[in-house]
Amino acid sequence: MNLEQLEQIAKEGIALAQDAQSLEQWRIQYLGRKSALSLFFNSLSKLSLQERKTQGEKANKIHKLLKNLYIIKKDEIEKGANELNKGSSNFLDITQPGDKKTQGHLHPLTLVSRDIIASFEKMGFSIIEGPEIEKEYYNFDALNIPADHPAREMWDTLWIKPTSKKQKSKTLLRTHTSPMQVRFMEKNQPPFRIIVPGRCFRYEATDSSHEIQFYQIEGLMVGEDINLSNFKAIISEIIKDIFKDNVSVRFRPSFFPFVSPGVEVDIRQELKGDKSNNNWLEIMGAGMVHPALFKRVDYENNRWQGFAFGLGVERIAMIKYKIDDIRLFFNPDIRFLEQF
Amino acid sequence: MKVSYNWLKTLLKLNTTPEKLADILTMNFAETTVKSLGKRPVLDVELGSNQVAWASGHLSLAREIGACLGKKFVLPEPKIKENKTLAKNLLTLDIQTSNCKYYSARILQGVKVKESPQWLKERLSDCGIRPINNLVDAANYVMLETGQPLHVFDFDKLNSEQKTIIVRQAKNKEKINALDGQNYILNKEMMVIADKKQPIALAGIKGGQETGVNKETKNIILESANFVGNNIHLTSKNLGLKTDASWRFEHNIPFELTVYALDRLAGLIQQVAGGDILKGSVKKVKDISGWKQEKIEIPIKWENWEKFLGWPINKKKIIKNLSLLGFSLKEKKEYLLVTPPQFRNDLKIKEDVMGEVARLEGINRIVSVLPREQLKLPTKNEFWVFREKIKDWLKGCGLEEIYNYSFLSEKDKKSLPIQWQEKMIEIENPTSALTKYLRPTFLVNFLKNINYNFRFTDTIRFFEIGKVYSLKEESFVFGGVLAQKIKSNNQLFFQAKGILEGLMDSFGIGSHDYILKPLSKTRFSDLLKQGVAIYKEEDLIGVLGQPQDFLKKDYDCEGEIIYWEIGLSSLFNFINEEREFQSLPKYPAVIRDISFMIPQNILIDQVLRIIQGASPSYLEEVDLFDIYVGKNLPQGNKSLSFHLIFRSQKHTLENKEVDKEIEKIYKALKILGAKIR
Repeated sequence: MNLEQLEQIAKEGIALAQDAQSLEQWRIQYLGRKSALSLFFNSLSKLSLQERKTQGEKANKIHKLLKNLYIIKKDEIEKGANELNKGSSNFLDITQPGDKKTQGHLHPLTLVSRDIIASFEKMGFSIIEGPEIEKEYYNFDALNIPADHPAREMWDTLWIKPTSKKQKSKTLLRTHTSPMQVRFMEKNQPPFRIIVPGRCFRYEATDSSHEIQFYQIEGLMVGEDINLSNFKAIISEIIKDIFKDNVSVRFRPSFFPFVSPGVEVDIRQELKGDKSNNNWLEIMGAGMVHPALFKRVDYENNRWQGFAFGLGVERIAMIKYKIDDIRLFFNPDIRFLEQF
Repeated sequence: MKVSYNWLKTLLKLNTTPEKLADILTMNFAETTVKSLGKRPVLDVELGSNQVAWASGHLSLAREIGACLGKKFVLPEPKIKENKTLAKNLLTLDIQTSNCKYYSARILQGVKVKESPQWLKERLSDCGIRPINNLVDAANYVMLETGQPLHVFDFDKLNSEQKTIIVRQAKNKEKINALDGQNYILNKEMMVIADKKQPIALAGIKGGQETGVNKETKNIILESANFVGNNIHLTSKNLGLKTDASWRFEHNIPFELTVYALDRLAGLIQQVAGGDILKGSVKKVKDISGWKQEKIEIPIKWENWEKFLGWPINKKKIIKNLSLLGFSLKEKKEYLLVTPPQFRNDLKIKEDVMGEVARLEGINRIVSVLPREQLKLPTKNEFWVFREKIKDWLKGCGLEEIYNYSFLSEKDKKSLPIQWQEKMIEIENPTSALTKYLRPTFLVNFLKNINYNFRFTDTIRFFEIGKVYSLKEESFVFGGVLAQKIKSNNQLFFQAKGILEGLMDSFGIGSHDYILKPLSKTRFSDLLKQGVAIYKEEDLIGVLGQPQDFLKKDYDCEGEIIYWEIGLSSLFNFINEEREFQSLPKYPAVIRDISFMIPQNILIDQVLRIIQGASPSYLEEVDLFDIYVGKNLPQGNKSLSFHLIFRSQKHTLENKEVDKEIEKIYKALKILGAKIR
């Protein structure tokens, strides 16, 4: 077979190849180790120097050409272009970008709050909200944190300036969502399960991990038999739901005046490979509701028990999206917002 | 609190590594981290405010670690050799204030002040205290050991022949020159230790210069006392002076430490500074009733444990754990009668006691069991859902959601009109001038956002849902802003209006349900211009308009800006999401286009009402599809084009019938001044 003939037949052959299988057959036939071209290259040494040069060059050219045809055809078949264009006279370039449709973006704190709240709702928790400007009583006294007690220093407070000297009770920017525990229980009888999401404030100099304002999700579940073990189970389920299986949870003792015993919940990301930066991070303070709170809202003695917790939303968002500076949340920057 | 690992190791004969110890403490006691390793590892134990009183010394901490490890740790008894001179012959105590519950003192004579031995200096530095001399160091060391703060006075520097220590409230404006070199001006609420002439120490917080020890000191008075925590806390807060001593005292340390620590200190000083310990201590109890606190007995039924903690725990384990913690127990058939150790002022109810057992067992280790509760759906929070729907709608419109601070600065306040300033809420103790007020509107923050983000983009589309605050109330609003650097022909206004109309429509609020009025009658007319106010009857729902020029100038914002602010509870009150199916039309519609010229000052709203009014029975829909102003039109006129859709519910409309309707509409429009084209 002469080379020109070979080229012609090969070209006709590839035009007929319609799928990956027939293309592969074509490749073996014309580019494979036992193809006419390969055999020809192997036999080059038998030719004269002059012939070797002219024929060799020609064969190389054909080899290159066939290889190119092969690549193009392969791409075509993979993208299914052939299929779409079959029997159609107007060519559709399916690789052309589609019409651009854009949306805005929700804030990462909205996204994370929704995730968390959705998990709790699945467990039957209702959403309740409370005021950001709060009475001293609900923020502190009702939660076993009397005035001038060292325990109050766990909550650095921004106070509202009284408008008149007659004002009896002081008001403040709530330092946590826990005031809603007492506010809610004053008006509702157990059993219940609620969450209270909302903005809170602390007297705090801002830096990459501290903010003067932040979001918390409070939780409260009270019934006749709601126990510490139930708390563990619910929180473990929820964290699994939020983070899939990528984190571990741990529960350790802690202290808050309005619970007994107090518990702190930490999570740790399960990183593959590099574990140097893998620390436990506090995400939640919690515990069994202190009986003094039940007494304060006139619940029947010794009948109810339950747990309460406060979850930091920014912490979860920072872990989830690997955000390293808390200030990004409240200083709107288009370059940040567009990433979510 | 910094803790020396080697010290604890010696006390407990530990064989756990510092890391392992930190882990055990974290999981069973209080969060602990390893601060430094090497030859002298240091741990940082973050005591809970309930733990400071009884675990802020190495001995008490060793006792608690022992409980975690299942070992009973016994405090060593202090041993001292006294001489024959009676201390009480040389020193008188006069306790005049009930803020001092117990005061004890010892006297040493002939001590030699010098540098402390190396081991002592090392332990102090490991725990974060700078060594000074052997007397001061010894007092600090025993504080670190027992948790009881102590003080050493120079005996000879006390005024008057017969030495007297007086514990009293300070006089108003009385001064003390403290050991930190500062002068403090005191008031009646503050407690001092004084001699007959002047205060010689701020009780429980810091000693005074006048009676401090130095190289010449030979005879000393050791003080170990118990003060009312609250008083120490207030004084320390008001003077802005927090010390290792005040931190311990404000948590009400146990009484039994007073004499124990005094004797430990006397012994240690003799060891490192020589001298004679005088016979006996001088002590006074002010409040006998408080001295031995009432012995509490808490009965806990055996079945309570599992009910409260949620996992079965046998009697043996309960008893073992409580004994390790120093409880006295009486076992009964139905219940266990527990008495917490004297030093545990934090255990008052059965839940506290059960919590202690849970802590030692390890809350992390116990089983998790989901509650057996009724399968009950949560109550839907409609207002919450409403707000989240708004967010989704705006996201769909291509807006970015933002969260701003709730605060405005002093400067921001001044940039607002006076009527707005008057209603603003002020923070009593702002962190800086930037956080002095609460925002009464989103506008100021939004202008700052525009100024900042114009550095990165030419067009801005932001919205926020959050609270605004006034003296009257805090309320949820929904604010938004569209801004572009290049000015257009009111494009942004109609974009924003379209977004709001569409949003309201999605909640079933049609254009018939609200009224648009000029801004001028609202409080927003000071902030916005060329905009509209949306009313539901007499209630203002929200506003839409351009920020006034002075605001744009104050916040350095160029270009076209449209801002809106909608009160969410008012909007929420009038949403109507009920939908009722209407049967599909039986007869075809007839569509006609009309086009006419009309004076520019006639509002589209007026035109629409006229058209609809003119054909009440057949006109189904009116659709404005073109507005033209400019060439080919006489000055002061605009051309409007509408699709009109007619339909009858009873029969197929004939052309003649529709012509008649169109005639009626033309007639009505002509009264408005329209010229039909």
